[in-house]
Amino acid sequence: MNPPSIGLLIEITARTLAVCLPALVISLAVGLPIGIAVGRRRFAGRGALVSLINTGMGAPPVVVGLLVYLALERNGPFGNLAWLYSGQAMILAQLLIALPLVVGITLAAVGSLDEDWELQVRTLGVPPRWRLWLLVREIRLSLLAAVITALGGILSEVGAVQMVGGNIEGETRVLTTAILMYTQMGEFEHALGSAAVLIGLMLVLTGLLTAVQQSGRA
Amino acid sequence: MSQATILSVRDLRVELRSRRGSFVLTADALDLCARETLVILGPNGSGKSTLMRVLAGLERPVGGKVTSAATGPVTMVFQRPAPLAGSVVHNVRVAFLGKKRSGAELRDRIDEALARFQIDHLAQHRAATLSGGELRRLALARAFALRPAVLLLDEPFAGLDAEGQAALSLDLRRAISDTGVAVAMVTHDLRRAMLIADRIAVLIDGRLAQVGRRDDVIEKPSTPEIARVVGMTNLVQGVVVKERRGDCALVEIDARHRIATRTGLAPGTRVWVGIRPEYLKVDVGRGDVDPIGKGVVREVVNDGVAITVQLDWAGTELRTYLMAGRGLARTLRAGVPVSLSASPEHVHLIPVASNGSAAASDASRRAL
Repeated sequence: MNPPSIGLLIEITARTLAVCLPALVISLAVGLPIGIAVGRRRFAGRGALVSLINTGMGAPPVVVGLLVYLALERNGPFGNLAWLYSGQAMILAQLLIALPLVVGITLAAVGSLDEDWELQVRTLGVPPRWRLWLLVREIRLSLLAAVITALGGILSEVGAVQMVGGNIEGETRVLTTAILMYTQMGEFEHALGSAAVLIGLMLVLTGLLTAVQQSGRA
Repeated sequence: MSQATILSVRDLRVELRSRRGSFVLTADALDLCARETLVILGPNGSGKSTLMRVLAGLERPVGGKVTSAATGPVTMVFQRPAPLAGSVVHNVRVAFLGKKRSGAELRDRIDEALARFQIDHLAQHRAATLSGGELRRLALARAFALRPAVLLLDEPFAGLDAEGQAALSLDLRRAISDTGVAVAMVTHDLRRAMLIADRIAVLIDGRLAQVGRRDDVIEKPSTPEIARVVGMTNLVQGVVVKERRGDCALVEIDARHRIATRTGLAPGTRVWVGIRPEYLKVDVGRGDVDPIGKGVVREVVNDGVAITVQLDWAGTELRTYLMAGRGLARTLRAGVPVSLSASPEHVHLIPVASNGSAAASDASRRAL
């Protein structure tokens, strides 16, 4: 097998980002409001819901991949979408892996605020939308931790995307599935090259987020 | 009260349920007038903080209503102020979110509020680094920056050391006086209450037991339970007798002890006799012109400012206070016999009914 060209590596890296970033953005867009709502409100069944979210945070990605596979395969409930072995299936799997992480960390951050925090802000006559802005500002360091955790989780994930993406060259091959494939083929040099790119990508992205997080402490 | 009512409670009933059980708070009538300070006193668990939250609109009553005629903000300072992330200035500025104010006005208000509570030098410090006392000052500064019509204070001195309490209570009193804000304050600290209260309301076991002008409630509590809350700790039972001493009625405690009072109750009435510790005089000589008998010093406790003297008298323990380092305070020791006296106008009588709880309830209604 020929060594992967720089062009191929760039293509795989771009696809990795094209799968991970939408999954991250959607998980944040959906997960932050859910985490804030569950963290702020008391309702029947909240304990069970929090327990479910916590379980989701620790769910094995390969199991998530299996469930997505079963849902999307031809005879599955969403088989008519024909998403299996496509980028959409990979985004969906990564979204389901990231979502509990975002929700769980957000609701823990909201829960760690003083019991009277919201009441104190309310009695100052601060309007609801400003209260929400204040809340997000108050937990912003934890929110960045949620972003870093979710990004790390989906960038390094391999089992689920392999299962639902199929590692099809030029279509669904991403850095993790490429590393797995090269390793299984004994192409350790190529595997190490792809791994170096993946590690570099994680270092750059998490480093940027960490810098933002630490500047927020000032 | 000549001032207009700014906050009014009628037939209030609040029910709270938690894992530890249920709690019911009731209040027939309670008014807060403009420019007055109402202090709500009561033992722990009597419902003071709950009442404050109802007044702030944070708890919904199941019955009755709270009516506000305030034209300005109604704000509340909590028992445990929770600082927001960011500087002290940011913590005050937050109160103006969503309110249109010019930058100059905002700066003036914030500067004025921080200076009023003597934390202007901490303006750029992170609020999370402030001490407990500084956090209280920050919470109060933020509330005053809003220039509220009504300020609700839930135990603003709790958890502070004696020096911090004294300093903050003086600054608070000055701020209230300068701004004319109507204040309802919850506390179980009688000394702080006395410092700023125009009127006092007493809560006992979730029931508004007595409301009145500060000195009336302090000196004429309507039940023994209220008496204990307002510091009238010297309580002993007796019977009003026919004999009189001049224009004073006499209450017989036992065969050897009688106390003169100006309170008029029919002979034969069983009463609680209440004397505030500060009105109970001790003397190692013959005693005052209004003697109530001989007692023996049981214990002398000196906290450096005041001396608390515990006395045995007629089989009861009484208490009085002396200024540390002055006169008698330097010589009193445990076991020393003393003469006790109390001016008849400072001897308060509370009728004892056959049904104690009914008597307390009747007395409360009269007070309300």
